[in-house]
Amino acid sequence: MNKLTVAFLQSLVVAGVLAAQTPADEEKLKQDLTAVIALHGQPCGEVVAVTVLAESDYAASCKDGNKYHVYLNKEGRVVVEKQA
Amino acid sequence: MNTRHIWAHPSGTIIAAKFVMYAGSAVLLLLLAAGCAQKLDTPASDSQNAARQPPVIQSDDPATQPASTPTEPVPQPVAEPTPSAAAEPVAKPAAPSPQEPVTTAPTPPPVAKPSVPVSPEPVAQPKPSAPSSPAPKPAAPSPSQPQPAAPAAPSAPKPSPAAPTKTQSPATNIPAATSTLDLDALKEEVRSTSAIGLFTKITLKNQVDDLLDDFRDYHKGKSKLTKTDLRRAYDLLLMKVLSLLQDKDPRLASSIVASREVIWGLLEDPKKFATLSA
Repeated sequence: MNKLTVAFLQSLVVAGVLAAQTPADEEKLKQDLTAVIALHGQPCGEVVAVTVLAESDYAASCKDGNKYHVYLNKEGRVVVEKQA
Repeated sequence: MNTRHIWAHPSGTIIAAKFVMYAGSAVLLLLLAAGCAQKLDTPASDSQNAARQPPVIQSDDPATQPASTPTEPVPQPVAEPTPSAAAEPVAKPAAPSPQEPVTTAPTPPPVAKPSVPVSPEPVAQPKPSAPSSPAPKPAAPSPSQPQPAAPAAPSAPKPSPAAPTKTQSPATNIPAATSTLDLDALKEEVRSTSAIGLFTKITLKNQVDDLLDDFRDYHKGKSKLTKTDLRRAYDLLLMKVLSLLQDKDPRLASSIVASREVIWGLLEDPKKFATLSA
Protein backbone atom coordinates (compact mmCIF):
# COMPACT_ATOMS: atom_id res chain seq x y z
CA MET A 1 0.00 0.00 0.00
CA ASN A 2 2.72 2.43 0.94
CA LYS A 3 4.62 1.81 -2.27
CA LEU A 4 1.50 2.28 -4.33
CA THR A 5 0.63 5.50 -2.55
CA VAL A 6 4.11 6.90 -3.00
CA ALA A 7 4.13 6.00 -6.68
CA PHE A 8 0.72 7.65 -7.14
CA LEU A 9 1.86 10.82 -5.44
CA GLN A 10 5.04 10.90 -7.51
CA SER A 11 3.05 10.56 -10.69
CA LEU A 12 0.80 13.41 -9.58
CA VAL A 13 3.80 15.63 -8.93
CA VAL A 14 5.31 14.85 -12.31
CA ALA A 15 2.00 15.51 -14.02
CA GLY A 16 1.65 18.79 -12.17
CA VAL A 17 5.13 19.88 -13.15
CA LEU A 18 4.53 19.01 -16.76
CA ALA A 19 1.21 20.77 -16.74
CA ALA A 20 2.73 23.89 -15.18
CA GLN A 21 5.51 24.03 -17.75
CA THR A 22 3.56 23.65 -20.92
CA PRO A 23 5.15 25.27 -23.96
CA ALA A 24 2.27 27.70 -24.25
CA ASP A 25 2.67 28.93 -20.72
CA GLU A 26 6.42 29.23 -21.13
CA GLU A 27 5.93 31.24 -24.28
CA LYS A 28 3.49 33.54 -22.52
CA LEU A 29 5.97 34.02 -19.71
CA LYS A 30 8.72 34.91 -22.17
CA GLN A 31 6.49 37.47 -23.86
CA ASP A 32 5.49 38.89 -20.51
CA LEU A 33 9.08 39.31 -19.37
CA THR A 34 10.03 40.78 -22.72
CA ALA A 35 7.31 43.43 -22.31
CA VAL A 36 8.36 44.10 -18.71
CA ILE A 37 12.00 44.59 -19.64
CA ALA A 38 10.99 46.85 -22.52
CA LEU A 39 8.68 48.85 -20.26
CA HIS A 40 11.64 49.46 -17.96
CA GLY A 41 13.60 50.72 -20.91
CA GLN A 42 16.21 47.99 -20.88
CA PRO A 43 17.66 46.51 -24.07
CA CYS A 44 16.68 42.96 -24.71
CA GLY A 45 14.96 42.42 -28.03
CA GLU A 46 13.30 39.17 -27.01
CA VAL A 47 13.52 36.81 -24.04
CA VAL A 48 14.68 33.41 -25.27
CA ALA A 49 15.13 31.57 -21.98
CA VAL A 50 13.57 31.83 -18.55
CA THR A 51 14.61 30.26 -15.30
CA VAL A 52 12.15 30.25 -12.42
CA LEU A 53 14.06 31.17 -9.27
CA ALA A 54 11.07 31.50 -7.01
CA GLU A 55 7.48 32.68 -7.05
CA SER A 56 7.41 35.92 -9.06
CA ASP A 57 11.19 35.74 -9.42
CA TYR A 58 12.77 34.99 -12.78
CA ALA A 59 16.10 35.02 -14.54
CA ALA A 60 15.61 36.01 -18.17
CA SER A 61 18.10 35.61 -21.01
CA CYS A 62 17.62 37.91 -23.95
CA LYS A 63 18.26 37.31 -27.62
CA ASP A 64 20.94 40.02 -27.63
CA GLY A 65 22.87 38.27 -24.83
CA ASN A 66 21.69 40.42 -21.93
CA LYS A 67 20.46 38.72 -18.77
CA TYR A 68 18.04 40.21 -16.28
CA HIS A 69 16.72 39.41 -12.87
CA VAL A 70 13.02 40.21 -12.85
CA TYR A 71 11.09 39.93 -9.63
CA LEU A 72 8.26 41.41 -7.58
CA ASN A 73 9.51 43.15 -4.45
CA LYS A 74 7.72 43.50 -1.13
CA GLU A 75 6.19 46.84 -2.14
CA GLY A 76 4.48 45.19 -5.05
CA ARG A 77 6.68 46.72 -7.69
CA VAL A 78 8.24 44.85 -10.56
CA VAL A 79 12.02 45.25 -10.52
CA VAL A 80 14.33 44.59 -13.46
CA GLU A 81 18.01 44.24 -12.60
CA LYS A 82 20.64 43.72 -15.21
CA GLN A 83 22.94 40.78 -14.48
CA ALA A 84 26.57 40.80 -15.40
CA MET B 1 -129.54 52.04 -62.99
CA ASN B 2 -128.25 52.05 -59.51
CA THR B 3 -125.66 54.58 -60.35
CA ARG B 4 -128.11 56.89 -61.85
CA HIS B 5 -130.20 56.31 -58.86
CA ILE B 6 -127.33 57.14 -56.65
CA TRP B 7 -126.40 60.29 -58.52
CA ALA B 8 -129.98 61.27 -58.65
CA HIS B 9 -130.33 60.86 -54.94
CA PRO B 10 -129.25 63.84 -52.89
CA SER B 11 -127.14 61.63 -50.73
CA GLY B 12 -125.53 60.33 -53.93
CA THR B 13 -124.24 63.81 -54.70
CA ILE B 14 -122.56 63.87 -51.33
CA ILE B 15 -120.95 60.55 -52.01
CA ALA B 16 -119.81 61.74 -55.41
CA ALA B 17 -118.32 64.86 -53.84
CA LYS B 18 -116.46 62.76 -51.31
CA PHE B 19 -115.18 60.50 -54.10
CA VAL B 20 -113.89 63.51 -55.97
CA MET B 21 -112.18 64.82 -52.85
CA TYR B 22 -110.53 61.48 -52.15
CA ALA B 23 -109.39 61.17 -55.72
CA GLY B 24 -108.02 64.69 -55.72
CA SER B 25 -106.19 64.16 -52.44
CA ALA B 26 -104.76 60.94 -53.77
CA VAL B 27 -103.51 62.70 -56.87
CA LEU B 28 -101.97 65.46 -54.75
CA LEU B 29 -100.25 62.90 -52.56
CA LEU B 30 -98.88 61.16 -55.61
CA LEU B 31 -97.59 64.42 -56.98
CA LEU B 32 -95.97 65.30 -53.66
CA ALA B 33 -94.45 61.88 -53.43
CA ALA B 34 -93.14 62.19 -56.94
CA GLY B 35 -91.67 65.58 -56.16
CA CYS B 36 -89.99 64.35 -53.01
CA ALA B 37 -88.65 61.42 -54.89
CA GLN B 38 -87.16 63.76 -57.46
CA LYS B 39 -85.64 65.91 -54.73
CA LEU B 40 -84.16 62.86 -53.03
CA ASP B 41 -82.83 61.58 -56.31
CA THR B 42 -81.13 64.82 -57.27
CA PRO B 43 -78.26 64.61 -54.75
CA ALA B 44 -77.68 61.03 -55.58
CA SER B 45 -77.72 61.84 -59.21
CA ASP B 46 -75.39 64.76 -58.56
CA SER B 47 -72.99 62.58 -56.67
CA GLN B 48 -73.18 60.03 -59.41
CA ASN B 49 -72.63 62.72 -61.95
CA ALA B 50 -69.75 64.03 -59.93
CA ALA B 51 -68.28 60.60 -59.84
CA ARG B 52 -68.92 60.22 -63.51
CA GLN B 53 -67.74 63.70 -64.34
CA PRO B 54 -64.03 63.01 -63.95
CA PRO B 55 -64.09 60.42 -66.66
CA VAL B 56 -66.12 62.86 -68.73
CA ILE B 57 -63.51 65.51 -68.02
CA GLN B 58 -60.84 63.09 -69.04
CA SER B 59 -62.57 62.44 -72.28
CA ASP B 60 -63.14 66.15 -72.75
CA ASP B 61 -59.65 67.16 -71.82
CA PRO B 62 -57.82 65.25 -74.46
CA ALA B 63 -60.46 66.24 -76.94
CA THR B 64 -60.53 69.93 -76.14
CA GLN B 65 -57.00 70.53 -74.98
CA PRO B 66 -54.43 68.08 -76.22
CA ALA B 67 -51.65 70.30 -74.91
CA SER B 68 -53.16 70.52 -71.45
CA THR B 69 -53.42 66.77 -71.25
CA PRO B 70 -50.39 66.45 -69.01
CA THR B 71 -51.82 69.00 -66.63
CA GLU B 72 -55.25 67.48 -66.42
CA PRO B 73 -54.31 63.88 -65.98
CA VAL B 74 -53.21 65.01 -62.59
CA PRO B 75 -56.75 65.89 -61.54
CA GLN B 76 -57.98 62.82 -63.36
CA PRO B 77 -56.79 60.53 -60.64
CA VAL B 78 -60.15 61.50 -59.23
CA ALA B 79 -58.16 61.62 -56.11
CA GLU B 80 -59.61 65.07 -55.75
CA PRO B 81 -62.09 63.61 -53.37
CA THR B 82 -59.26 61.92 -51.54
CA PRO B 83 -57.06 64.99 -51.25
CA SER B 84 -59.94 67.04 -50.04
CA ALA B 85 -60.87 64.30 -47.66
CA ALA B 86 -57.29 64.01 -46.53
CA ALA B 87 -57.00 67.74 -46.16
CA GLU B 88 -60.13 68.13 -44.09
CA PRO B 89 -59.88 65.15 -41.77
CA VAL B 90 -56.42 63.74 -41.80
CA ALA B 91 -57.11 60.82 -39.53
CA LYS B 92 -60.30 59.60 -41.14
CA PRO B 93 -59.74 56.19 -42.68
CA ALA B 94 -61.83 54.22 -45.15
CA ALA B 95 -65.00 54.16 -43.05
CA PRO B 96 -65.83 57.84 -43.44
CA SER B 97 -64.68 57.82 -47.03
CA PRO B 98 -67.97 56.60 -48.41
CA GLN B 99 -69.68 59.51 -46.73
CA GLU B 100 -67.04 62.01 -47.64
CA PRO B 101 -67.18 61.42 -51.33
CA VAL B 102 -70.80 62.51 -51.22
CA THR B 103 -69.87 65.73 -49.45
CA THR B 104 -66.64 66.32 -51.27
CA ALA B 105 -67.96 65.29 -54.62
CA PRO B 106 -69.86 68.50 -55.10
CA THR B 107 -66.76 70.56 -54.40
CA PRO B 108 -64.41 68.89 -56.86
CA PRO B 109 -66.66 69.16 -59.88
CA PRO B 110 -66.82 72.92 -59.73
CA VAL B 111 -63.11 73.06 -59.15
CA ALA B 112 -62.33 70.72 -61.97
CA LYS B 113 -64.70 72.22 -64.48
CA PRO B 114 -63.63 75.84 -64.07
CA SER B 115 -60.06 74.81 -63.66
CA VAL B 116 -59.94 73.31 -67.10
CA PRO B 117 -60.47 76.51 -68.99
CA VAL B 118 -59.10 78.91 -66.40
CA SER B 119 -55.48 79.32 -65.49
CA PRO B 120 -56.18 78.84 -61.74
CA GLU B 121 -56.48 75.22 -62.61
CA PRO B 122 -52.78 74.62 -62.24
CA VAL B 123 -53.23 75.84 -58.73
CA ALA B 124 -55.94 73.30 -58.22
CA GLN B 125 -54.01 70.63 -60.04
CA PRO B 126 -51.24 70.51 -57.53
CA LYS B 127 -53.87 69.26 -55.14
CA PRO B 128 -54.34 66.23 -57.31
CA SER B 129 -50.61 65.80 -57.09
CA ALA B 130 -51.34 65.36 -53.43
CA PRO B 131 -52.92 62.00 -54.18
CA SER B 132 -49.42 60.72 -54.52
CA SER B 133 -48.61 62.45 -51.26
CA PRO B 134 -51.64 61.29 -49.27
CA ALA B 135 -49.67 58.28 -48.28
CA PRO B 136 -46.78 60.39 -46.97
CA LYS B 137 -49.22 62.95 -45.60
CA PRO B 138 -49.42 61.25 -42.25
CA ALA B 139 -45.73 62.01 -41.94
CA ALA B 140 -46.04 65.68 -42.87
CA PRO B 141 -49.54 67.04 -43.20
CA SER B 142 -48.42 70.66 -43.15
CA PRO B 143 -46.73 70.45 -46.57
CA SER B 144 -50.22 70.21 -48.04
CA GLN B 145 -50.37 74.01 -48.15
CA PRO B 146 -47.05 74.56 -49.87
CA GLN B 147 -48.02 71.90 -52.38
CA PRO B 148 -49.41 74.38 -54.86
CA ALA B 149 -46.08 76.11 -55.20
CA ALA B 150 -43.85 73.06 -55.40
CA PRO B 151 -45.26 69.78 -54.24
CA ALA B 152 -42.31 67.49 -54.62
CA ALA B 153 -39.54 70.03 -54.16
CA PRO B 154 -40.35 71.04 -50.58
CA SER B 155 -40.77 67.47 -49.52
CA ALA B 156 -37.42 66.47 -50.98
CA PRO B 157 -35.30 69.12 -49.29
CA LYS B 158 -37.02 68.61 -45.98
CA PRO B 159 -35.85 65.06 -45.53
CA SER B 160 -32.33 66.03 -46.45
CA PRO B 161 -32.01 68.54 -43.61
CA ALA B 162 -33.63 66.05 -41.31
CA ALA B 163 -31.17 63.36 -42.31
CA PRO B 164 -28.09 65.38 -41.38
CA THR B 165 -29.59 66.08 -38.03
CA LYS B 166 -30.13 62.39 -37.52
CA THR B 167 -26.59 61.67 -38.53
CA GLN B 168 -25.36 64.36 -36.23
CA SER B 169 -27.18 62.95 -33.27
CA PRO B 170 -25.43 59.55 -33.43
CA ALA B 171 -22.18 61.35 -33.97
CA THR B 172 -22.79 63.30 -30.83
CA ASN B 173 -23.81 60.18 -28.99
CA ILE B 174 -20.52 58.46 -29.75
CA PRO B 175 -18.38 61.05 -28.01
CA ALA B 176 -20.79 60.99 -25.11
CA ALA B 177 -20.37 57.24 -24.82
CA THR B 178 -16.61 57.50 -25.00
CA SER B 179 -16.56 60.32 -22.51
CA THR B 180 -18.09 57.98 -19.95
CA LEU B 181 -14.93 55.86 -19.98
CA ASP B 182 -12.98 57.19 -17.05
CA LEU B 183 -9.75 56.13 -15.46
CA ASP B 184 -11.34 53.51 -13.22
CA ALA B 185 -13.10 51.85 -16.11
CA LEU B 186 -9.87 51.88 -18.04
CA LYS B 187 -8.07 50.23 -15.15
CA GLU B 188 -10.71 47.52 -14.95
CA GLU B 189 -10.52 46.79 -18.63
CA VAL B 190 -6.75 46.61 -18.57
CA ARG B 191 -6.93 44.30 -15.58
CA SER B 192 -9.42 41.98 -17.23
CA THR B 193 -7.78 41.76 -20.62
CA SER B 194 -5.81 38.67 -21.50
CA ALA B 195 -3.64 40.49 -24.00
CA ILE B 196 -1.14 41.47 -21.31
CA GLY B 197 0.75 39.19 -18.94
CA LEU B 198 0.59 39.44 -15.20
CA PHE B 199 4.03 40.96 -14.73
CA THR B 200 3.36 43.45 -17.49
CA LYS B 201 0.12 44.47 -15.84
CA ILE B 202 1.87 44.95 -12.53
CA THR B 203 4.55 46.98 -14.24
CA LEU B 204 1.98 49.16 -15.94
CA LYS B 205 0.16 49.65 -12.67
CA ASN B 206 3.40 50.72 -11.05
CA GLN B 207 4.03 53.25 -13.78
CA VAL B 208 0.45 54.55 -13.59
CA ASP B 209 0.84 54.97 -9.85
CA ASP B 210 4.11 56.83 -10.40
CA LEU B 211 2.42 59.16 -12.85
CA LEU B 212 -0.45 59.75 -10.43
CA ASP B 213 2.08 60.58 -7.72
CA ASP B 214 3.69 63.08 -10.06
CA PHE B 215 0.29 64.70 -10.73
CA ARG B 216 -0.46 64.76 -7.02
CA ASP B 217 2.80 66.52 -6.31
CA TYR B 218 2.19 68.87 -9.21
CA HIS B 219 -1.21 69.90 -7.92
CA LYS B 220 0.22 70.38 -4.45
CA GLY B 221 2.97 72.51 -5.89
CA LYS B 222 5.70 70.21 -4.63
CA SER B 223 6.80 68.93 -8.02
CA LYS B 224 9.43 70.49 -10.23
CA LEU B 225 7.74 68.95 -13.25
CA THR B 226 5.78 71.18 -15.55
CA LYS B 227 2.50 70.38 -17.16
CA THR B 228 4.36 69.75 -20.39
CA ASP B 229 6.53 67.15 -18.69
CA LEU B 230 3.49 65.48 -17.23
CA ARG B 231 1.82 65.47 -20.59
CA ARG B 232 4.88 63.89 -22.14
CA ALA B 233 4.99 61.20 -19.47
CA TYR B 234 1.27 60.61 -19.89
CA ASP B 235 1.60 60.23 -23.64
CA LEU B 236 4.54 57.90 -23.26
CA LEU B 237 2.69 55.68 -20.83
CA LEU B 238 -0.31 55.55 -23.09
CA MET B 239 1.92 54.61 -26.00
CA LYS B 240 3.33 51.76 -23.96
CA VAL B 241 -0.14 50.52 -23.13
CA LEU B 242 -1.30 50.88 -26.69
CA SER B 243 1.73 49.08 -28.07
CA LEU B 244 0.90 46.17 -25.82
CA LEU B 245 -2.81 46.13 -26.63
CA GLN B 246 -3.12 47.14 -30.25
CA ASP B 247 -2.36 43.69 -31.64
CA LYS B 248 -4.18 41.43 -29.20
CA ASP B 249 -6.98 43.67 -27.94
CA PRO B 250 -7.64 46.36 -30.54
CA ARG B 251 -11.05 47.19 -29.09
CA LEU B 252 -9.57 48.18 -25.74
CA ALA B 253 -6.79 50.04 -27.51
CA SER B 254 -9.29 52.04 -29.53
CA SER B 255 -11.33 52.83 -26.46
CA ILE B 256 -8.21 54.06 -24.71
CA VAL B 257 -7.34 56.23 -27.68
CA ALA B 258 -10.88 57.62 -27.68
CA SER B 259 -10.72 58.47 -24.00
CA ARG B 260 -7.23 59.85 -24.12
CA GLU B 261 -8.17 63.51 -23.77
CA VAL B 262 -10.93 62.78 -21.30
CA ILE B 263 -8.50 61.10 -18.95
CA TRP B 264 -6.04 63.92 -19.42
CA GLY B 265 -8.79 66.33 -18.47
CA LEU B 266 -9.38 64.38 -15.28
CA LEU B 267 -5.69 64.41 -14.42
CA GLU B 268 -5.12 68.01 -15.34
CA ASP B 269 -7.96 69.53 -13.36
CA PRO B 270 -7.05 69.69 -9.64
CA LYS B 271 -10.66 69.33 -8.51
CA LYS B 272 -11.35 66.33 -10.72
CA PHE B 273 -8.01 64.82 -9.76
CA ALA B 274 -8.89 65.21 -6.10
CA THR B 275 -12.09 63.26 -6.68
CA LEU B 276 -10.10 60.59 -8.51
CA SER B 277 -7.52 60.20 -5.78
CA ALA B 278 -10.27 60.16 -3.17
